[in-house]
Amino acid sequence: MGQNQSGLGGAGGPPGAPGDNNKKGDKKDKPKYEPPPQPTTRIGRKKRKQAGASAAAKLPTVYPTARCKLRMLRMQRVHDHLLLEEEFVENQERLRKAKAANTVTPASAGGDSDALDRNADERGRVDDMRGSPMGVGNLEELIDDDHAIVSSATGPEYYVSIMSFVDKDLLEPGASILLHHKSVSVVGVLTEDTDPAVNVMKLDKAPSETYGDIGGLESQIQEVREAVELPLMHPELYEEMGIKPPKGVILYGAPGTGKTLLAKAVANQTSATFLRIVGSELIQKYLGDGPRLVRQLFQTAAEHAPAIVFIDEIDAIGTKRYESSSGGEREIQRTMLELLNQLDGFDDRGDVKVIMATNKIDTLDPALIRPGRIDRKILFENPDQNTKRKIFNLHTSKMSLAPDVDIDEFVTQKDDLSGADVRAICSEAGLLALRERRMRVNMTDFRAARESVLKTKTEGEPEGLYL
Amino acid sequence: MAKEEEKKAPVQDKGKGKVDDAKQTNGDKSEKADGKDGKKGGDLDLAPEELSEEDQKLKDELDMLAERLTEDDKSLYKPALDAIKESIKTSTSSMTAVPKPLKFLRPHYEKLCETYEKWPAGEDKQSLADTLSVLGMTYSDEERLDTLKYRLLAPNKDIGSWGHEYMRHLALEIGEEYQKRMEDDKDTEDLSDLTRTLVPFFLSHNAEADAVDILSELEMIEDIKDYLDENTYSRVCLYMVSMVPLLAYPDNDRFVRTAHDVYRHYKQLTQAMCLAIRLNDMELIKSDFAAAEDKALKRQLAFILARQRICLELEGEDAEDTELQECLNNTKLPEHYKSLAKELNVLDPKVPEDIYKSHLESSRTAGLTNTDSARHNLASAFVNAFVNAGFGADKLMLVEGGVQQSWIWKVKEDGMTSTAASAGMLMQWDVEMGLDKIDAFTYVSEEQVKAGAALATGIINSGVRLDGDPAMALLGDLEGKSVSVKVASIMGLGLAYAGSNKEDLLELLLPYVTDTSLDMQISAMAALSLGFIFVGSAQSDVSEAIIQTFLDEDRANQLKDKWTRFMTLGLALLYFGQQEEVDVVLETLKVIEHPMSKPASVLAEICAWAGTGAVLKLQELLHICNEHIEDERDDDDKDKKDEEKKDRSGDQLVQAYAVLGLSLVGMGEEVGQEMVLRQFGHLMHYGEANIRKAVPLAMGLISPSNPQMKVYDTLSRYSHDNDIDVAVNAIFAMGMLGAGTNNARLAQLLRQLASYYHRDPNALFMVRIAQGLVHMGKGTLSLSPFHTDRSVLSRVGAAGLLTITLSLIDDPRQFVLGDHHYLLYVLVTAMHPRFLITLDEDLKPLQVNVRVGQAVDVVGQAGRPKTITGWQTQSTPVLLGYGERAELEDEEWICLTNVMEGVCILRKNPDWEAS
Repeated sequence: MGQNQSGLGGAGGPPGAPGDNNKKGDKKDKPKYEPPPQPTTRIGRKKRKQAGASAAAKLPTVYPTARCKLRMLRMQRVHDHLLLEEEFVENQERLRKAKAANTVTPASAGGDSDALDRNADERGRVDDMRGSPMGVGNLEELIDDDHAIVSSATGPEYYVSIMSFVDKDLLEPGASILLHHKSVSVVGVLTEDTDPAVNVMKLDKAPSETYGDIGGLESQIQEVREAVELPLMHPELYEEMGIKPPKGVILYGAPGTGKTLLAKAVANQTSATFLRIVGSELIQKYLGDGPRLVRQLFQTAAEHAPAIVFIDEIDAIGTKRYESSSGGEREIQRTMLELLNQLDGFDDRGDVKVIMATNKIDTLDPALIRPGRIDRKILFENPDQNTKRKIFNLHTSKMSLAPDVDIDEFVTQKDDLSGADVRAICSEAGLLALRERRMRVNMTDFRAARESVLKTKTEGEPEGLYL
Repeated sequence: MAKEEEKKAPVQDKGKGKVDDAKQTNGDKSEKADGKDGKKGGDLDLAPEELSEEDQKLKDELDMLAERLTEDDKSLYKPALDAIKESIKTSTSSMTAVPKPLKFLRPHYEKLCETYEKWPAGEDKQSLADTLSVLGMTYSDEERLDTLKYRLLAPNKDIGSWGHEYMRHLALEIGEEYQKRMEDDKDTEDLSDLTRTLVPFFLSHNAEADAVDILSELEMIEDIKDYLDENTYSRVCLYMVSMVPLLAYPDNDRFVRTAHDVYRHYKQLTQAMCLAIRLNDMELIKSDFAAAEDKALKRQLAFILARQRICLELEGEDAEDTELQECLNNTKLPEHYKSLAKELNVLDPKVPEDIYKSHLESSRTAGLTNTDSARHNLASAFVNAFVNAGFGADKLMLVEGGVQQSWIWKVKEDGMTSTAASAGMLMQWDVEMGLDKIDAFTYVSEEQVKAGAALATGIINSGVRLDGDPAMALLGDLEGKSVSVKVASIMGLGLAYAGSNKEDLLELLLPYVTDTSLDMQISAMAALSLGFIFVGSAQSDVSEAIIQTFLDEDRANQLKDKWTRFMTLGLALLYFGQQEEVDVVLETLKVIEHPMSKPASVLAEICAWAGTGAVLKLQELLHICNEHIEDERDDDDKDKKDEEKKDRSGDQLVQAYAVLGLSLVGMGEEVGQEMVLRQFGHLMHYGEANIRKAVPLAMGLISPSNPQMKVYDTLSRYSHDNDIDVAVNAIFAMGMLGAGTNNARLAQLLRQLASYYHRDPNALFMVRIAQGLVHMGKGTLSLSPFHTDRSVLSRVGAAGLLTITLSLIDDPRQFVLGDHHYLLYVLVTAMHPRFLITLDEDLKPLQVNVRVGQAVDVVGQAGRPKTITGWQTQSTPVLLGYGERAELEDEEWICLTNVMEGVCILRKNPDWEAS
């Protein structure tokens, strides 16, 4: 610790050649050789998030969070200081450039193209040194500034040297690295360290469903927005009220009542990063992979904060814990324990909100849905008449209907229809009309469609209990 | 207007209106989003059909009512208006959407405005204006300020019934309008009147911040006094006081004075006194002190004054009260301090080896550390002094065999001065006992020991006062003494009477400043001592004398002496915290054509603005640091003889002072404190050697006795710098950073440094000093110049810290690492026990349980938030770390001061019943 010279200057200095080197360089009329970058101070240690040097670069948090002049003044103060900093650094950079120009010009007049050539040349030589193909390995341990123990995918571990052009700041135990094919020395670092599986969960393209596509569910929409979107957009409202915003919500209710649809609408509407995953995806082949995935999921979410994590079908991993001898069963439970920890564990997750959906809330582990982890439980019921009408209207609005169609007939019937059933009736009616090669859907189609949907609906369930 | 609705409305509206306002600030974009995701889906094509039945009904009704207003039938106006108002007030909605009536009425807004113009004046017209004012709130065009316009046209008294959000919006528009009118130089009386109706509403609805904001916007903050009551004043004052460091003059002054008056009015004299001290207004302090009728309270105030080292002459019957005098003089300080030590079980003296723990240093260096034994012993003397400071017992100096057995014989020459003076620090505050012990040293024949004894006398008397003025009596006679004794005595006087403004000393010391035949060392020390004694008083006699001596031709060739900086510091200290007052001196200094005039003016300026956090000053200082001063040869002070280089060193000093100034100015305010640390990184990166040497010291100066990880991490890196001066300064800064905290991480880092530098006697000496500082008072003392909940800056303390950093700034070997290590004792002015002692009304020690925890900034938070977090319950006396706060565990006792720190007097709660 601290055995390195502080040539790099203080923390938070902009990246670039270290001041000392440059200064010396200028005096010696631009030497051909530039020393390699200063070794980092924290070699061989796992990088701590938001601590040490990066903490010094962090801006102070501004209190109070309520809207008031005091807050404004404090923000302004931070702003002023940043301006000062910018001004200073700009001036210094300018001075340095001016000075460098003064000293360099006589030495290598018109050396611009030279420099370009030399850069390309050096690049080529570095590539030569790296060789091809390069092996991918894992960094096990850093011994000193230039040596490390690596393991390659084939098994054996090697004590190898690290090439001087490798950025040592990026090296840390566990990192994926590029190895020379013969000497197995470290020639590069692969930076991406999260599982690609997690990145797949990130939603690049928003779904097309909007809140407008949801019939009814007004109170549910409102609850979700209050619990998930507003805390991300207007945290001050909660501070002002003196409450902590909810961390997450669980959507539950009978199948086909619009839980996933609502989540899609949230994803469509929000500007926050939306990560979605299905509970069953968290069940992995190898031991420890499931919990790791959960960790990475939340880590990615925290990195991209503000973020919303949507876990569909949470009952796949969130069932009540019980004594089990099966290893797979236990692994699933461990995955859930990791989830519990991520939801309300020791570390503050910050701006990450969780939405879960299930249709079997009674089978979930009580620890998972206790307040503090999941603060709001939002029930999705089968639609009432008004809602049913809205759903029908939504689905039929784009269909070409015959004038005799009267949706009210279905709305007033006391069938126990879910939103999905309504949708099924509409499309079934359309299919029937297609079968008869009509361009319009008429009332009989709807009636027939309703019959068939209701029939299949009851068929799917057991008639009664066999005792 | 139905009464019950008035009560209901604000509560309901509070929630619903929020989004409106957010929308206003976020601009149109988010408004559209809000409109869209509102549950009606207003932007969709299907919107009209999507309205639920109730909504449709409401919309129709409102359409109809709006229609009616545009028609001619006058008799229908009033009921229609009332109905609209009614529906607006009773509407509830989620916080995600605009209230429905407002939304439905929006299309009619323009029409209604036109209608308004047409109507004849009368009650109806006013009523319409009232309504339009509310509707104007949803109108997105910010330039129009319609809410305000119609509000001024409608003289309705009961505007609070429209709800909280409306009031806030109105306040916003008033602020904008006021700015506009000020630019155009128009009358603003109507705005002020309106504001006067807003403020009581805000205050009664937990929105103190809004009340203060609008009043400060209209530059009438003094008016807030009239609206406060028992319940609101404390929150309002807290908010106002925390705004002060961010405001520019004269607003900050007005805020403090207003808050002070409020506290006075509600008999919170301790808080008022703190503010009076911040204002540095002796008249105010005296009147606050006189206002305390209660004896115990008066004593408490005396303790606060004593902490700030303000000397107050007691008048009238107070003068008879010896106990009060004792409180004011800090006479009981050693007693309290020792009781704390007893409680913490740290009475046993420690030897330097207990601090070094060299058995933990890596073994290869173990035998080698004693290379320069006299120097090593000197370091041990300092460490011994710092560690056992104030305990009155140690194993090196005050040993049984008397002077002959003591440590002074183990050091050489100048070392004897410092070693003898260390006895003073050991006996600190305990004047009677201490003087007895010191007496023995004065009979030793060596001049250096005599000098040390003189300095020790000064150190003992630092921070406490006795009627007999023993320091004055012992040190006042300077005739016929040797130079070293004179210097030590003068410095001793400065330490003993720091901040006292004692006129007698003026007569005594001024001749030494002006007498140009004297050595610069003596004159500079006299000037510095005067600076300490009259710190922040802008004493004109002293400043004139110092400036005069700068102008004197006999003096001119002496000004190149290294001691000159202390003379300039003496001048600067006089203007400590005086802000604009310093300009006179700056002008005068400009006239002097000498390389030292520029550093002197920078020094004066940073002292004047110390602790204000003023960004403009920071900017000026950074500009000074912008320039690169070419340093063609290495830092070899031997060839600094010729004139040209001397000039340059003046400029280099200017930059170094500017760096120190960054921390001195920035230290008063938390945001600035953190942000300045970032600047240091850049300075270190781009700066030349002179700046780089100053940066570590500045980092130490900005957070003394507050070992923050990010600071000591950086310092630890600097402590291995190529430039040994930077490294030495960084080591000292680490000592300052951890002074009196026993911080284990720092102690470990310093041990590593000890083995790293075991061959470099200078660096090793500094490591030892730093170790001593970290364990100062066995972890019971603090160097932090801020006290009373980090709100009041002790000028004396800051002056001490500044002096020591100044002596190290460009070349540590000149003073501390050279022959003048006794300068380290100026730290004594900043040393203070970081304890909490509780006394009963008769000043007898009292043991109560208190909770000690991390202080939380509660300004502007909703409800009654906890002021401390993560507390532990302990019984007094207790230690308080940086940023920690204490509160009483139960209500059995009432604390007479609001900030439980230092010495507190408790009073039995008459209403308390043991459960």
